[in-house]
Amino acid sequence: MSFAPKTQPFSGKINAVTLGTGDKAVVIGGQNVLPFYTFDAPIENAPKIGVEISDAAAEWTSAGLKEFYAGCTTMADYAKKAETMEGADFLCLNFESADPNGANRSVADCVADAKAVAEAVSMPLVIMGCKNLEKDGELFAKISEALPGKNIVCMSAKQENCKTVGASVVLAYGQKVGAETADDINLAKQLNIMLKKDANVPADSIVMNIGTAAVGYGFEYVASTLDRVRLAALAQSDADLQMPIIAPVSTDTWSVKESTASAEDEPAWGCQEERAIDMEVATAAANLTGGADAVIMRHPAAIAAIKKFITELV
Amino acid sequence: MALKGLDIFKISPKKNCKECGSPTCMAFCMKVAQGAVEIDKCPYFSEEAKAMLNEQTAPPMKTISVGEHKLGGETVLFRHEKTLVNKNLYAVCVCTECEDADKKLADLQKVDYERIGERMYVEFVFVANKQNDPAVYAELVKKAAATGRSLVLECWDVECAKAALEVCGKDVILDGATPANWEAMNALATEKGVTLGVWAENISDLYDTVKNLEAKGNKNLVLDVTGKTAKETLANAVLVRRTAIKDGDRSFGYPSIVNVARLAKGDARLQTAYAAMFTEKYASIIVMENMTYAQALPLYGLRQNIFTDPQKPMKVEAKIYPLNGADENSPCCLTVDFALTYFLVSGELERSNQPINLIITDASGMSVLTAWAAGKLSSSTIKKTFEELDIENKIKNRTLIIPGKVAVMKGEIQEKLPGWNVVVGPLEAVQLPKYMKDKEYEAAAKAAAAENAAKAATTVEVKELSFDELLATKVPKIEVVDMGVQYKGHNPEAQTFVTIGERIHCIAPAIRKAMDERDPEPILKRAAEQIAAGATYLDVNIGPAEKDGPERMMWAVKLLQENFNNVPLALDTANMKAIEAGIKVYNRTNGKPIVNSADAGSRIGYIDLAAANDAICIALCSADGIAKDNEERMKHCHNMLERGMSLGMTSDDLWFDPLFLVVKGMQDKQMEVLEAIRLFAAEGLKSTGGLSNNSNGAPKEVRPIMDSALVAMCMMQGLTSAIVNPNDRRLMETIKSCDIFKNHVLYSDSYLDL
Repeated sequence: MSFAPKTQPFSGKINAVTLGTGDKAVVIGGQNVLPFYTFDAPIENAPKIGVEISDAAAEWTSAGLKEFYAGCTTMADYAKKAETMEGADFLCLNFESADPNGANRSVADCVADAKAVAEAVSMPLVIMGCKNLEKDGELFAKISEALPGKNIVCMSAKQENCKTVGASVVLAYGQKVGAETADDINLAKQLNIMLKKDANVPADSIVMNIGTAAVGYGFEYVASTLDRVRLAALAQSDADLQMPIIAPVSTDTWSVKESTASAEDEPAWGCQEERAIDMEVATAAANLTGGADAVIMRHPAAIAAIKKFITELV
Repeated sequence: MALKGLDIFKISPKKNCKECGSPTCMAFCMKVAQGAVEIDKCPYFSEEAKAMLNEQTAPPMKTISVGEHKLGGETVLFRHEKTLVNKNLYAVCVCTECEDADKKLADLQKVDYERIGERMYVEFVFVANKQNDPAVYAELVKKAAATGRSLVLECWDVECAKAALEVCGKDVILDGATPANWEAMNALATEKGVTLGVWAENISDLYDTVKNLEAKGNKNLVLDVTGKTAKETLANAVLVRRTAIKDGDRSFGYPSIVNVARLAKGDARLQTAYAAMFTEKYASIIVMENMTYAQALPLYGLRQNIFTDPQKPMKVEAKIYPLNGADENSPCCLTVDFALTYFLVSGELERSNQPINLIITDASGMSVLTAWAAGKLSSSTIKKTFEELDIENKIKNRTLIIPGKVAVMKGEIQEKLPGWNVVVGPLEAVQLPKYMKDKEYEAAAKAAAAENAAKAATTVEVKELSFDELLATKVPKIEVVDMGVQYKGHNPEAQTFVTIGERIHCIAPAIRKAMDERDPEPILKRAAEQIAAGATYLDVNIGPAEKDGPERMMWAVKLLQENFNNVPLALDTANMKAIEAGIKVYNRTNGKPIVNSADAGSRIGYIDLAAANDAICIALCSADGIAKDNEERMKHCHNMLERGMSLGMTSDDLWFDPLFLVVKGMQDKQMEVLEAIRLFAAEGLKSTGGLSNNSNGAPKEVRPIMDSALVAMCMMQGLTSAIVNPNDRRLMETIKSCDIFKNHVLYSDSYLDL
């Protein structure tokens, strides 16, 4: 008796969600199988890569990043350059300097940056805040207002502010929202329910960030949450977990010791830049294998490797 | 473990005849599974049952040993379902055509370091035969063997394989069987006693070849699932594993080799990406072109994460970690051994650039607050760490910064570590860099030092008092107050469900304060409410009570029993002396005291305590962390049962606690807990537990509904008691109703009011 592989497509399906508009718009999600399980059923939309640029990018010390963005001063400069990166599907604007406990950039300045970027590029935009709930709420609302019809994604709405963020970003300005939880599948489901029920956000306007970590730093929680979220969405057809997942990778991987320790500090470890790239590559690949439909990354070499990885697998 | 005790039990005679020497069939089956007893000891197991046993209980995937390494043996597809067992290993490839083979063999040995107690290195050398010249291949294999690493010999030529096996040890996989040569390769591998690797053009041929090899009796196999592309290789790896685990087809129940060096030749970064994927998806050996530190750091970190047992947190070693060039004159900062806490705290301390000795203390891998609440982080455990690590002599500086979250422990630690200046650090790790840079701890240390000096001047030696002396001098006289409620009495022989009221617990600030101040009122109020609501027993949790445990417990016991008609009590504290003292003054009219609680790990001594004092003992079926399955739960159960009975306890006095798990987080384990209760009942054992833990974190209005549903299911399974909140009316009414259905209480229209 010879081997006849059993295929296992599921009845449940991940929502297909469009980011951006026009020729450069991308669709994430849409599949009814586990990540890269093309032998079970075709993958409708290949996973996508977002390029992170930051309003604190001037502080980046990586030689490869400095070289790639040589001559860029404004966020719009960075964005134009990032759009040319091999493998880039969308851009992620990280407004980390808005943090009131940090540089405390004004919302008006951030909005001006976002507008300038939107005018300079045509790729879809994902907006990342500064992790301060109050400031982010205002930032997301104002940027959503300033970029009408651009179909941007604001990362992110949390349990505490999902009602206001959902109402301003999605209902008022027709943009999309990222539901952020930290390695907690029950809360991930609850947050989607709250966005749909309490804030009237349609399911196809929601993407998820279910928690992030660099590999080696508690990634087991991310991995198991991804596994469980995907199995609930596909095997149990749980409509409250069928949103596609965007995993911000770079913000974690570039801050761990493997990426920040200089070659002088850790002579055995070798080139710091190579370490940072491999950290980003391994974390992105692990996220995509677990269920992320898009990853947000920083280094051109890492992005090129992950682009190849995705192309080979779908 | 090849056989599962519970599986054996299913087809056992279930006569409990004791002829085999074990008290029950279940106990016998557990011993058989552990290999402690031969199944033939039982005269009633039929031959058919034994044969079926072999067939049914063989694991879905074989564990293959190569030298000291173990491969495969997995039982689930996803780590959250249970746990993954054997981590994937790494190989670096060299071939007879590579010009840089010597350099690669030298380089692969450079990556060798420790991360959270685990050695990280390239375990295998993958030696590829390209020229079909036995002498050339043997020469390379010899060099590879000289690295001391285990080998994978990729060699499809029998003569070359023969020559290679002459020059290396037994810790080798002969990755050489194909649909074309399998008979000859099988003969060679069998003769030499080495594991045979199997490869084929496609998965269907691979399957047929394995079937052929199995027919020849060889089950010492690994499958090289590398295809022509990464896409095909992933398909092979997943289908092989899924067929074995999900469909139970053991012909694919072997570990896999994935050669990413071949899939992404010359592209190290793509190899890193593939290796990350195959770590999650089912490779047992991943073959790389090279292994640089840049690749090793993330890949080994990922592997360590993925192969962590979900129920056993990652722990770092308890020791002094000098950071930023700290020496014996640098201050100390203390935290727990939970790996994530360690990474967070050490990362922030490093960021501060200030020399500091980070002291990691043993807390069973729990986070700071969890460990504190569970008694795993206390002044005693810290003192133990200080003694074991000889910190007193190793470090001259006397400043000790403790986590802000356990500021309450400052006084106790100060007492246990005289000479140290204990300072309360920030609440969150992110605040550490600023805290360190501003040297905020210096002023606090000075203040602590002054305080200590003042105390030392006034301290007088205190001699330890006996319980009777304590009772006479330290326990306030009890005043009986009319709370308008009387305890109705309890017949210890009754079959009705025993509720243990959980409301007198030091985690409640009001109770903590009342215990500290020996203020009867708040305690009596909660006791009266619970008794009025129908609680059978009351739990008395006096907190860790390291200092004044005995007099505290004696006071609490007397207070409750004298006020409420000798209401029976469960004595609950991490201080064993306090439990002993409580039992000294305990009145047994309405039932024996309950010792809350023993486990099969560090709290096993509570069984001895209960046995010595003729008390009931709650026995938590866990040791280090939550039991991973019922196999383990029942193992702990039997260990504790045997210990208790050998000390003269009756089995009725051990109440086994399966450990109720929270639905938010461990939803998929709930049925297993219910099954454990049924297993206790099947052996006639009593059971109890903190049932309401299931609904922890759920909205207040939902909890009674969840708790009631669960208690009904549990009582159906045979649960005999639970630690509950008796003020939850829905729950108490459910319990009363279930007692009616179980025919423990005769029905009357007003049964709920009784």
